Amino acid sequence: MGWLAFSFLLLIWELGSRLNPALQPYLPPVSRILSTLGEVVLSGQIVSHLMITLSRFLQGYLLAASMAVILGTVLGYFRLAHSLFEAVIEFLRPMPSVAIIPVAVLLLGIGDAMIVAVTVYASLWPVLINTIDGVRHIERTLIDTGRTFGLNRRKILWQVVLPAAAPYIVTGLRISLSIALILVTTAEMVAGSKGLGFFILDEERSMNSSNMYAGVILVAVLGYLLNRLFLLCEAWAMNWRRGMLARESI
Amino acid sequence: MRESRLNGLLFFLGLLLLWELAAQAGLMNPLIVPPLSRILRVFSELVWSGQIPLQVLTSMKRAAAGYVMAAIVFIPLGILMGLSQSVYRLLEVIVEMLRPVPPPVMIPVAMLFFGLEDEMKIFVIFFSCAWPILLNTLDGARNVDRVLLNTARTFGLSQWKIIWKVILPACSPQIVTGLKVSLPIMLILVVISEMVGSTDGIGYFILDSQRRFRVAQMYAGMFTLAILGYTLNQLFNFLYKLLMPWHVGLLRVKDGS
Repeated sequence: MGWLAFSFLLLIWELGSRLNPALQPYLPPVSRILSTLGEVVLSGQIVSHLMITLSRFLQGYLLAASMAVILGTVLGYFRLAHSLFEAVIEFLRPMPSVAIIPVAVLLLGIGDAMIVAVTVYASLWPVLINTIDGVRHIERTLIDTGRTFGLNRRKILWQVVLPAAAPYIVTGLRISLSIALILVTTAEMVAGSKGLGFFILDEERSMNSSNMYAGVILVAVLGYLLNRLFLLCEAWAMNWRRGMLARESI
Repeated sequence: MRESRLNGLLFFLGLLLLWELAAQAGLMNPLIVPPLSRILRVFSELVWSGQIPLQVLTSMKRAAAGYVMAAIVFIPLGILMGLSQSVYRLLEVIVEMLRPVPPPVMIPVAMLFFGLEDEMKIFVIFFSCAWPILLNTLDGARNVDRVLLNTARTFGLSQWKIIWKVILPACSPQIVTGLKVSLPIMLILVVISEMVGSTDGIGYFILDSQRRFRVAQMYAGMFTLAILGYTLNQLFNFLYKLLMPWHVGLLRVKDGS
C-alpha cells in the first residue's frame, strides 16, 4: 500500500508536468528524469563525479573514524587528558562544522585536500564524543577483573576497554556516516569543480533540471547504500554482542 | 570535579595565549591565522557597528521559520503515523525514499523553485529538520503505554481529548528529543544555504569575508557561530526545564532507582 501511494504520487507528478509545460523547467516529468539518469550514467558523464565524491567521502570518513577512536580512547581513559581538553572540545563543538570550509579554503586552496579535511573535521565529533563517553562509562568491575587476572595495560585496552565501548563507538560511526556525506557534498558545492555536489549545483545554474534531479537521485541512492553497507558491517562486527544480550535476557 | 574544569579552562586559555604569541612573533602567516587579539578587536567592532547582530538576525529569522514550520507539520504527522497503522503504511515508502537525500543537495532544488529568496533557505531547513522530528514523534506515539490509553477510554474521554491529554504528554519526551536533534541541523543548514545561495546572513558573511581575504572578519564570523550554537542549545535546555519540569523530575527519579 505504501508503494501504491508512492507510485500514485509519481503518477500525479508525471501527469501534472506533462499537462503543464510551464512547469517543466522546474519539474520535468519523472519519466524524463529517469531516462536522463540512465543516459548520464551510461555515458559515464556522472560516473566520474560519483567516483570522485565517493573517494573523498571514504578518505575523509575513514581518516576521521580512526583518528577519533584513538583520540577518544585516550581522552576517555586518562582523566587528566580529558580535563585538559574538555573546554577546547566544548568550545569547538557547538560551532556548525560547515563554518570551517572558508578556513580550509584559505589553508588548502580548492581541491581534494580541502574537501577531505573538512569532512574529517566534521565527522570527527560524533565518534570522538561517543568514544569518550563509552570509555568513561565502562564498569570499574570489568577493568578491575581484568587487572585481577593479570592483564597488562595493552591487553586491558584491547580486550576490555574497546569491546565495552564498542556500542557507543558504533553509534558515533553511524551518525558520522551521514554527516560525512553532507560535508562532502556541501564542500563540493561551495568550492569545488568536480564531484556530485558540484554537478548538481552546476546543472541547476545551467537550468538543466533533469540532470540536476538525476544527480539528486544518485546522491540519495549513494547515501542509502552506504547506510545499508554500514548496517551490514555492524551486524557482522557486533554479532558477539547480540549473542551476549540474548543470553542476558534469558 | 571543579578543579578539573579549572584545569581545562586554564589549558584552553594557554592554547589561546600560545596562538597570540606565535602570531605576534610572525611564526604564522597573518593572511591565514591572524593574532587572536586582532580577531577579538574586529569581532567587537563588528558587534558594536551592528553588522554581526544584523547578519545573525537575518539568519535566525530564516532558521526559525523553517524550524517552526517543520515542528507544526511533522509533530502532528508523527502522532498520526504512530497511532494509525494505515496512515503509517501509506506514507512509509515516501518517507523512506526522501530521507536518505542529504539535505544540502536539496539546496539546488530549492533554488530552482525559489531562487535566492528567503523561501529557499526556509524550505531547506524545513526539509532537513523534518526527519528527526517526524521519526522521534512517531516512535513516541507508537510506544504510548496501552494501559494509559485503555484507562482514558474507560473514563470515556473523546478521541480528541485522548490525543491532547494522554498521547501528547506521553510522547512529549521523544518530541523534545526530535526538536533538540534538529536544532544543530537547523543551524548547519542555514549556514550552508547562505553560503551556496545568498547575499546576506551569517553564512554568506563568513564565506564573503574569506573571498575578500578579510581573514580576521571571517574568524569573527565563525566565533559568532560558535556562540550562537552554544546559546541556542542553552536556550533550548532552559525552555525544556521551564515547560516540562515534570519530565526532568521523572528522569531524576528513574536515575535514582
